[in-house]
Amino acid sequence: MQAFEELVSRHRDRIYMRAYSIMRNETLAVDLSQNAWVKAWQRLEQFHGEASFPTWLGRIVTNLCLDELRRQKRARTDSIEAMEETTGPVENRMEMETVDPFEGLGREELRERIDAALAKLSDKHRTVIVLYEFEQLEYREIAEKMGTSVGTVMSRLFYARKRMASLLKEILKRDGLIE
Amino acid sequence: MNENEIQLKIQSLVDGELTGREAKEWRSRLETDAGLKELHARLTAMRGLMTGAELPRTLPESGDFHWSQISKAIEREERQAKRLARPASGAKRLLRWMVPMAGAACLLLLLTLQQTTQPELGISLGSDHELELSIDDLDVMTFNTGDDAMSVVWLDYSIDLQQDEVDLWLD
Repeated sequence: MQAFEELVSRHRDRIYMRAYSIMRNETLAVDLSQNAWVKAWQRLEQFHGEASFPTWLGRIVTNLCLDELRRQKRARTDSIEAMEETTGPVENRMEMETVDPFEGLGREELRERIDAALAKLSDKHRTVIVLYEFEQLEYREIAEKMGTSVGTVMSRLFYARKRMASLLKEILKRDGLIE
Repeated sequence: MNENEIQLKIQSLVDGELTGREAKEWRSRLETDAGLKELHARLTAMRGLMTGAELPRTLPESGDFHWSQISKAIEREERQAKRLARPASGAKRLLRWMVPMAGAACLLLLLTLQQTTQPELGISLGSDHELELSIDDLDVMTFNTGDDAMSVVWLDYSIDLQQDEVDLWLD
C-alpha cells in the first residue's frame, strides 16, 4: 500500500489533468481521478507492463470520464443533437470566433490559449481531440472507447480541428503556420 | 468521392492513418491541387500546435487529503468484497436450505386445507384424499442477506382447479 501511495503521489496531477481536460469541471475531475486510482488498485494484477503505468492509468481515467459523459448525455434533455434537429447543423450557425493576437506568446500562454479554445468545444468534439492529441489513441481505439464508428471519429476530429483553427487563427497566422 | 470524404482523407494522411500506397497516391494529388495542399498545411499546423499543448494542472486539494480519500475508498471496497466472498457458517448454510423448504411445506399444508373447502367446485374432499402438487405449480423465490442473517421466501402458486382435473385426482 505504501508503494501505491508513492505512485499516487507521483502521478496524481497528471491523472487529474487528463480528467479535467475531458470533463472541464474541477469537482468531477477530482472525483473521477480518485475513482481511477481505486480501480487501478483493484486491477493492479492486470497491469503487465505492456504500456507504462501512467499510460495504463490514463486509459482508466479516460474510460471513467467517457462513462460519466455518457451518463450526463442520457440525463441531458437539450443535447446538441436535439438542437441540430430543429435549427440545422451546428456548423452552419457557429460564429467564427477569433483569438486576439498576442505578441511574444510563451509556451505556457500558448497552452492556456489552446486550453481556453478546447473549453469552447462541445463534449464530443473536445473528447475526440483530447483522446487523439493528448492520449495519443488511434482512430479505431477512440471509436471503440466512444462506442461509435471510425468514420464518426474522423468527422468529429476534423470538425474539432477546424473549430480550433478558427479559435486560434491569429496565433496560427502570427507564427506563419497558415497564411 | 465528395468534398467531405476528400477532407477526411487528407486528415488521415496528416495523422498517418493511411496505408503506404494510399498515402503515396494522396501525396501526389497534393502536388497538383492547391486547395488540398492548403488544407494539408492547415491540418499539419494544427497538429503541430496541439503537440504537447495540454495545459498542466495541479490537483486542487492536498496530496495527503487526496490519498486519504483514495485509501478510504479502497478499504471500503475491500471490506465490501470480503463480505460478499465470506462463506456462510454451518448454521447459516443449513438455514439457507431449511427456510425455503419449511416455507414450501407450510404452503402445501395450507393448500391441502384449502382444497377441502372449495365451494365453487361443489366438491368436498375428505381427509383421506391426497392433493398432489407438482413443482411446476410453485414459483419460489428466495432472497438471502448474510449481513442481516435473514432469508425471505416468496411462494407463488396458481393452480388451475378445473373440474376434470379434480375428478382425475379423485380417481
